[in-house]
Amino acid sequence: MTAAVAAHRAAPAAGGGPLTGTGAMLRLALRRDRVKLPAWTLGIALLLPYFAAVAGRTTSTREDLEAAAQLVSVPMLRLFTGPAFGMEAATLPRYVIAVYFVEFLLGAALMNILLIARHTRAEEQSGRAELIRAAVVGRHAPLTAALLLAAITNAVLTLLLAIAAVGVGLPPGSALLFAAGTAATGLVFAGVTAVTAQLTEHSRGAAGLAGAVLGAVWVIRGVGAAQEVHGGPLTWWSPMGWAQFTRVLADERWWPLLLSAVSTAALVATAYALSARRDLGAGLLPARRGRESAGRWLRSPFTLALRLQRASLLWWGASLAVAGLVFGALAGSMRAGVAEEFIGAGPDVLGGYLSLMAVGMVFLVGVFTILSATRLRAEETRGRVAPLLAAPTGRWAWLGASLLATAVGAVALLALAGVGLGVGAALSVGESGLVGELTAAVLVRTPEVLFLLALTAALFGLAPRAVALSWAVLAYGGFVRFWAGDLPDGFRSLSPFDHIPRMPLEDFRLAPLVALTALAAALALTGVYGFRRRDLDGG
Amino acid sequence: MAQTAIAVSGLVKTFGPTRALDGLDLSVRTGEIHGLLGPNGAGKSTAVRVLLGLVRADSGRAVLLGGDPWTDATALHRRLAYVPGDVELWPNLTGGETIDLLGRLRGGLDPARRNALVERFQLDPAKKGRTYSKGNRQKVALIAAFAADVELLVLDEPTSGLDPLMEAVFQEVVAEARAAGRTVLLSSHILAQVERLADRVSIVRRGRTVQSGTLAELRHLSRTTVEAETAAPVTGLAALPGVHHAETGGVQVRFDVDADHLDAALKHLGAFGIRALTSHPPTLEELMLRHYGNGAAA
Repeated sequence: MTAAVAAHRAAPAAGGGPLTGTGAMLRLALRRDRVKLPAWTLGIALLLPYFAAVAGRTTSTREDLEAAAQLVSVPMLRLFTGPAFGMEAATLPRYVIAVYFVEFLLGAALMNILLIARHTRAEEQSGRAELIRAAVVGRHAPLTAALLLAAITNAVLTLLLAIAAVGVGLPPGSALLFAAGTAATGLVFAGVTAVTAQLTEHSRGAAGLAGAVLGAVWVIRGVGAAQEVHGGPLTWWSPMGWAQFTRVLADERWWPLLLSAVSTAALVATAYALSARRDLGAGLLPARRGRESAGRWLRSPFTLALRLQRASLLWWGASLAVAGLVFGALAGSMRAGVAEEFIGAGPDVLGGYLSLMAVGMVFLVGVFTILSATRLRAEETRGRVAPLLAAPTGRWAWLGASLLATAVGAVALLALAGVGLGVGAALSVGESGLVGELTAAVLVRTPEVLFLLALTAALFGLAPRAVALSWAVLAYGGFVRFWAGDLPDGFRSLSPFDHIPRMPLEDFRLAPLVALTALAAALALTGVYGFRRRDLDGG
Repeated sequence: MAQTAIAVSGLVKTFGPTRALDGLDLSVRTGEIHGLLGPNGAGKSTAVRVLLGLVRADSGRAVLLGGDPWTDATALHRRLAYVPGDVELWPNLTGGETIDLLGRLRGGLDPARRNALVERFQLDPAKKGRTYSKGNRQKVALIAAFAADVELLVLDEPTSGLDPLMEAVFQEVVAEARAAGRTVLLSSHILAQVERLADRVSIVRRGRTVQSGTLAELRHLSRTTVEAETAAPVTGLAALPGVHHAETGGVQVRFDVDADHLDAALKHLGAFGIRALTSHPPTLEELMLRHYGNGAAA
């Protein structure tokens, strides 16, 4: 041992660049994500055959396909699908690419945002990066390893997606272009997150900032697409637009992806420059000082739950109100005739559109609800629940109050989204009555959100490791509602989102509301019962 | 061979309005165990993080193993191992995997020594990181550090989660490291641990070093507590130079006396016929409390 130490001392203190240890860090990252990354890439790739199958069934005849292809002439729908190419001579693959490309771009962006945040800022926040960086690991090795991991993952995604695209009938060249466009957009968001990870002290903040950029990019692309079928000038300002501007299966070209490559390079360079300027664990945006003592109202599990989610609620509220205004305001540009095909409603096209938007808002609030409820599991496993339950707070009081806080927050968000939708629609159509009507249309769907919350609570109480299953219910409901309209009734009625009437298009019926609320109450009570009986995890 | 493993002078680091280090000095000799003492927030961990090149000091000079902690970070880290106070592990990696990973990042570890340490610390290396308690997470970091062939061990409150049995193992392992010629910087607020292990200590307060030296030196600067029982009632004790807090209750006396005046005080006491006598040097705790000036050191 002494000899070894002496040998070390004799060795010169050389051999340590900022990238030392990158290989080991990359292997660690691959080991940590050996389940996550295959699941993400395979999951995104498998969406393609799924979408193709759905589209194939709904457009089984030539006439159906041509009618569906006409939908891209509705500016409002292009807001969601992006610029469309080659729809003058529609084929099924062209239709699939035109309508669903955006979902792949969103999937790839989300995968990259979470990947980079997980391997950079989350590591620093937890203190594991300190352990690593005290070893023979260069200053830039962790970031470099994370970016290499993103590059590998996106390469795998390109391969899988190209195979899937060939499988649904794209020529190999087009399949590769589609897959490369998706992965290139993913890499841009890896770059965005590499920058945001330098700014905030917390990985949620880093992912949240990158998510905000993604939202902005989505909207810019959409507004540009709404301007013109082949994409207006605004779309050029959006990285998601660049991928779509490769005009897959139409007048194909690779060069828009150069924009993605250059942006990625610029973002990565910025991230390195920022990273070299800061201490480990510190963010460039200063952490604000909080208050020195608790407010008078912070004295119960209910107010604690609200306090913990205050920032999240404010962001969600502002975003939903703005989204409601935008979607509502588009009501004025609806053209009768063509849109009926998509909305599948009778003569009331405006009502059909607005009721669909109201349903969409509920799904967004559903995302908040599940995030808010699954948070309880994280609170438990991180050991933050035990001190509360060690105080004279019963399990029933803690879980009940936490669920109530989520329910109150969700209803407030529904109301905000409804008012936003109503005000937007009322301004663009010129009917002030729409404000009340649409607020009611969104609020009437409250039991759907309560059901999601109660389902998560039941899982939390009875099968806490499986709380994330409620995402599957939300996803299933979304698919059934928006993409699989012609499924047999049995599949539709399985979804909790297909029972409450779509107002203002359909008439109000009380029975489904009562039934769903009762079901939610039963599930919530089951959850509390289960939680009172089971062991507390973590500590 | 450098005689000084760590030389720090006038180190300053501010985080916004907080001055975490305010002119810290620290000198650690090669081959010694150096205790870094101070309460929470005194700046111990910031000092350690500066020495590891994780945080850049605003001003001051720091030399670690003859190199600059910031610019030579990776080269220096080949020659040191670090154990933080709050060890976080990757939830889906086992303890054994983490030990090997950290060892390899440092340039390899001795498998025999690793296994011996796993045995001594009674760690189950096959459990996933998320299932370990705080103490077991610390054992993982300790094993990884002590299994590495390094010159310097930087330990930042490394045993706050260990039970007394494991604390004893830790002390053995640290003593063995010194015997093998390694230098140890031990930041701690477990005073008994430092008292038993450290050759020299530095006491840090509000980002500055308030005292530094061997325990004997620190004690010499301080007072000894004497309790005695005499044949005749003691008089005139309180008037002696260097005697403090004298409590005389007839034949029972208790007082503190400066080291320089101990001899005179005992001779004075001898005149009254000593029946029983106990004296003890100040504990590190008393030294610390004196420096933090809340009067409890009496």
